[in-house]
Amino acid sequence: MLWSRRSVFLGLLVGAPMVMAFAIRMVAVTRGLPVINGAGLSGPTLFGILIWLLFVRFIVPVLGVFYGTSLIADEVDDKTITYLFTRPVPRSAVLLGKYLSYLACVVLLVLPSVVVVYFLVVPIGGHIGESFPSLVEDLGMIFVGLASYGAVFAFVGARLKRPLIVGLVFAFGWESTVLLIPGYLKRLSVAYYLQALVPHVMPQDSSISLLLQVFQELPSVWVSLLSLTGITVLGLWLAGRTVEKREYVLEQ
Amino acid sequence: MTVKTRYFVIVSLLVLVVGLGTGLVAYYVGFPATAFFSGNAPDELRYMPSTASVVGYVEVREIMASDLRQRLHKGIASQAQDDGKRELQELTGINYETDIERIVACFDSAQSADNSGLILAKGLFDTVKIEALMREHGAQVQDYKGKRLIVADHFGRNNFSNFDRAGRPAEDASFALTFMEPGLVGFGSTALVRQAIDLHASGGSSAATNDDLVAHMRGLEGGNAWVVGRMDVLRERAKLPEIVANQIPPITWFSVRGQVDGGFQARLTAEGRDEESANMLRDVVRGFLALAKLQTSSKPEFQRFVQSLQLGGTGKTVSLSLDVPAQVFEALGALMPKQPGEQKPQ
Repeated sequence: MLWSRRSVFLGLLVGAPMVMAFAIRMVAVTRGLPVINGAGLSGPTLFGILIWLLFVRFIVPVLGVFYGTSLIADEVDDKTITYLFTRPVPRSAVLLGKYLSYLACVVLLVLPSVVVVYFLVVPIGGHIGESFPSLVEDLGMIFVGLASYGAVFAFVGARLKRPLIVGLVFAFGWESTVLLIPGYLKRLSVAYYLQALVPHVMPQDSSISLLLQVFQELPSVWVSLLSLTGITVLGLWLAGRTVEKREYVLEQ
Repeated sequence: MTVKTRYFVIVSLLVLVVGLGTGLVAYYVGFPATAFFSGNAPDELRYMPSTASVVGYVEVREIMASDLRQRLHKGIASQAQDDGKRELQELTGINYETDIERIVACFDSAQSADNSGLILAKGLFDTVKIEALMREHGAQVQDYKGKRLIVADHFGRNNFSNFDRAGRPAEDASFALTFMEPGLVGFGSTALVRQAIDLHASGGSSAATNDDLVAHMRGLEGGNAWVVGRMDVLRERAKLPEIVANQIPPITWFSVRGQVDGGFQARLTAEGRDEESANMLRDVVRGFLALAKLQTSSKPEFQRFVQSLQLGGTGKTVSLSLDVPAQVFEALGALMPKQPGEQKPQ
């Protein structure tokens, strides 16, 4: 899983925020951060923007889609699933083991990147110590997000024949759209619960975001945590059940 | 596990553990931001006391060369400005238009009223000429920790007198000048200049290590003149009558960032004690803005200025941005009484 061509691409994806943070730091040292509407942009605000826009809304779903859908689909494509299923263990245990290895890989890939970005960006006009609790919250949120997205896409990968396209449509079509639609539809997305975990990461400096916050309905932290745990457990259970019952026909 | 995977896991865990460990230590110990980032805070802060409650900064050379300054110099009281410049040059040997690059000043509320100011000017100075001129006007040279301290008991208009007009002990009101390092002159109250020499010699707690102050300065980047300070400390120091003090919204920090070029743009920021006091201040400013708009409705030359006033800020912060075009200064200049022999501005 870790040294596939996909991982190299995803490694570059995770490395991009670090490069971006380094560039921001260089610009800040030489020319200072840009002033927007007369207000100097600070490191903690910039870190919040990077976490929200790059990690939560892009990198976490992308890693979930690419790795989660490939847990079973790659074995089917490589025609190696037979070797796994002939072992004297339940099929769902194989899936669970692969899911845990996915979680270990992506956590070790993403969390260090967040830490590096934090140490590069936050000291620009901010305090490392003061912002440390928010870093811990961000790391926790990203871990929960990776676990939830991974479980959902593990099910998609186990159930569908072309899971990548469906996964991408779900992550960047469905989730982005329902968050903007008023009503209860947004409760059928992972991002809705994820954004409620750490609301401070959302940029709060513009009047538009202020308006969004006023009209935005966010669940409480405990409801979000319970919902995301529920999504993870349900996703894994459905994926395990699918793997147990489905007959995988390998193309010759 | 392959060797590559092992290295990947070790490096990732190392970054995580070191990062979280450092963050945790910073959280409990209070790691200063300055340890990682010096930002654009002026170096002169190292010579200023950590108890400084107001710090100001002016890019003198940039402002002197600005279009606005040139127009004002030609338009408003040019004779008086030239006289003032000549007087200062005769007294100290410093031509502020050409010699000074930038000035950083502070007000230290921990000192007595006569001993609370320190100015550090960076530029090109003729040390021998300045010292000779000051001695000629009554100042005395002392040695303090290897630095030549030029001390005068009172800063008069044309000379350094040895008499204090209010009859106070001369030490309290004494004024000193020293060359901290090549191209950096410090002048102000003798006590603060001595403290600056102490900080220069041995380091220690200075305005540069005052994290709150430095953090507030970071929001002022991009301007060629700014002031930042603690309003609550100044208010305490001013000892206002209770009836007046109760009318002032409880502001903790204030800052003004100005940019002088073709016109003058500024942003005034005040940080309230809490959101309620910030809302109160916002209401007061809103009222003044409405009054200003009403008053200038028949004066088109001031309307652009009034329209540029923008109230902003969220939470505990209230800000007011303004943009004063050169025409407004010229209009103000035209309203000022003319001195004999001075031409009306074009």
